[in-house]
Amino acid sequence: MKVKIFRWRAIGPLLVLFVIAGILWWLFADTIARRESQKVGTQILGAQVEIQRLHLDLRHGKVLISGLTIASPHEAFKNLLQADELVADIDVVPLTEEKLIINRIAANGLRFGTPRATDGRAAATSGDGIAGRVLAETRDWASQFQIPVLQLATGKVSIDSLDPRRLSTIPAATALGARADSSRRAWRAAFDSLRLAPTLDSASAALETLRHARATDLAALNAARQAIGRLKRARDRVTALDRGVRTGVAELQAGLAGLDSLRRRDYAFARSLLKLPSLDAPEIGAALFAPAALKPFERVLYYVQLARRYMPPGLLPRATTGPSRVRRAGEDVRFPKERALPAFLVRTAELSFLLHPTSEQPQRYAGRLTGLTSDPALYGRPTAFQASGPQLAAGATLNHVRAIPVDTAGASVGGITLPAFDVPGVPLTLDPGAGTSQLGFTLNGDTIRARFAIRSTNVRWTRDSGFTNSTIGGLIWQAVSGISNLDVEARLSGALHHPDLAVRSNLDQAIASRLRAVLGEQVAAAERQVHDRVDALVDPKVGPVRVRVNEVQAQAQAQVAQQRTRIDELQKNLEQRLRQLLGGVRLP
Amino acid sequence: MFALIKLIQSLFGALHSEGTEGQLAAGIVLGSCLGLTPLLNLHNAVIFAALVLLNVSFAAGMLGWALFVPIGFLLDPLFDWIGHQLLLAESLRGLWTSLYNTPIVPLTNFNNTVVLGSVVFALLFAVPFFFLTRWAVVRYRVTVGERVRQSKFYRALTASKAYNVYKMFRP
Repeated sequence: MKVKIFRWRAIGPLLVLFVIAGILWWLFADTIARRESQKVGTQILGAQVEIQRLHLDLRHGKVLISGLTIASPHEAFKNLLQADELVADIDVVPLTEEKLIINRIAANGLRFGTPRATDGRAAATSGDGIAGRVLAETRDWASQFQIPVLQLATGKVSIDSLDPRRLSTIPAATALGARADSSRRAWRAAFDSLRLAPTLDSASAALETLRHARATDLAALNAARQAIGRLKRARDRVTALDRGVRTGVAELQAGLAGLDSLRRRDYAFARSLLKLPSLDAPEIGAALFAPAALKPFERVLYYVQLARRYMPPGLLPRATTGPSRVRRAGEDVRFPKERALPAFLVRTAELSFLLHPTSEQPQRYAGRLTGLTSDPALYGRPTAFQASGPQLAAGATLNHVRAIPVDTAGASVGGITLPAFDVPGVPLTLDPGAGTSQLGFTLNGDTIRARFAIRSTNVRWTRDSGFTNSTIGGLIWQAVSGISNLDVEARLSGALHHPDLAVRSNLDQAIASRLRAVLGEQVAAAERQVHDRVDALVDPKVGPVRVRVNEVQAQAQAQVAQQRTRIDELQKNLEQRLRQLLGGVRLP
Repeated sequence: MFALIKLIQSLFGALHSEGTEGQLAAGIVLGSCLGLTPLLNLHNAVIFAALVLLNVSFAAGMLGWALFVPIGFLLDPLFDWIGHQLLLAESLRGLWTSLYNTPIVPLTNFNNTVVLGSVVFALLFAVPFFFLTRWAVVRYRVTVGERVRQSKFYRALTASKAYNVYKMFRP
């Protein structure tokens, strides 16, 4: 029986099915696009993206979005921005290549930092995806800064609980001791491999023969010359070994210096366990304002790192987390191609926004964003943003066109009410009131340079309920309660993975003087106790290692010097005897 | 429960249908492609159309789909690995780059590691699976098929309304 390959009667139902699918798409395209946009936006930014209404008009290449809300990835009940309306002009043809090219976006009614009823942080709560990883990385980055505390220990000052395993010096000393031993063994082996004894013995024998030889005894003369040659070569070998020993000794000495440096770090660590207040003005600035000053740096870094992940330089294939679905998401790999369109591009965005939206006279500002793309190497120009208005100037550039990305951002905002914050470690709240804040940020490859400054002339200090129990709080209150000006500046510089943070304020000196006057002696005594305790744990380990290193050094250097002296002496005697025998006559 | 009964009905319905072993095996193979790969992708529309338009057992296809969905979930890490190896292979970069920049092709999501890995696996698996299934159906029909057909269980199964729905799509 011949079996037919096609089931022709099924074409009708299949077409009906496809028509139904088409009708469903036409009916629900807006809803599907809205939900997908929310999902993708949330995944990219690490914060809830909500859209009230989205209308696709593919025939005219327009997308209309109303009621856009993007939650803050960092603050639970705050929005990053809200927009009343966004109108986007898109190219339809690139959609067939899964590429979204937006020629122009007009965004109206942008508002920043508005409150929200629910926690909109997605990356912070789930930790998934690129945004989750970047958020975790920036948090780790921010937590690396050792911020001094303005606290006093209550009760007896004691560091009996100091765990020796948490001190850095002890394992380093053990490692250095092992290095000294292995250097000793290596040098001994190298010294043995020089095989100096036969050379020295044969030179001694030649010298002895030469002492009883005559000028005509050519065999003895030749033997002496050969012995001198061997001695010279032996000295070269000893010199080479000496160079190695000197280098090794220098490294061991550097290790000893490193132990001193680690001991200072251990002092600082043990001191931090006691929560002693610093009496140095720069440290007080850091203790008071570093946590607040680090936040803007951390947030800008988060967005910059996100941009670097989603807008990498170059044209190599790049993998990102795939779409979330019931099945495993996998990874989407993009393959940018020269002279082709990027996967995502916003050519121009015109932004119109309000600052102080809740005030009686909200101020209107305008901004412009150009060249936001997933493939900067294809677009060939950096992404640029600028905004201006009364008491506002802001700009940012993301230059990922070349191999080393350079990201800069800067903003100066005046006349805004800066949020009040608790002073870390002490029961005081600082309300800066209306002031000016400035931010400058540059990340060039992996080198960061950033500055954040707050200025206000209308500062108010408030004592919290726990004030009566805090000695240091009382002292600081006495020092600062009469000061109404605030001038804080924080600077970051250096390699991104380990930058230097410097924070200064106009309050530092006043607080430092007050603390030094009252607590200076107590703090000094406690610090002495800290040093003694650390020394008691560290000295038994470091002392023997120091002795061993010095022994190894002395032994190796003495051995080299001794052999070199012996060689020099023998060579000198041989040459002297030869001169005596030959009386200045040069033999061929 | 209804789904389970329907699955059992499909299984026995397909095994005892008038379709040839080849039709059954081809249906199950096409269904396995649907089940092994993530469903909402363009290639599955093509496979579904083939299942409907080609004279293969549609019920066997549905059976294969149902059976291979959980297997697909289980094998997702393997698919992810296969896709990763293929998509990031230096020698294939030119191919992927030109496909990725060709209209319509990116809509298949071939550039997703799980999608590509599962499609490649399903294609490689299809040929041996077709012959294995065909052999198994032949063996079933020769050995226990007739006894099952005479059993009360089979008669009860085929008497249900769901079976009548199935019969509309049998090959």
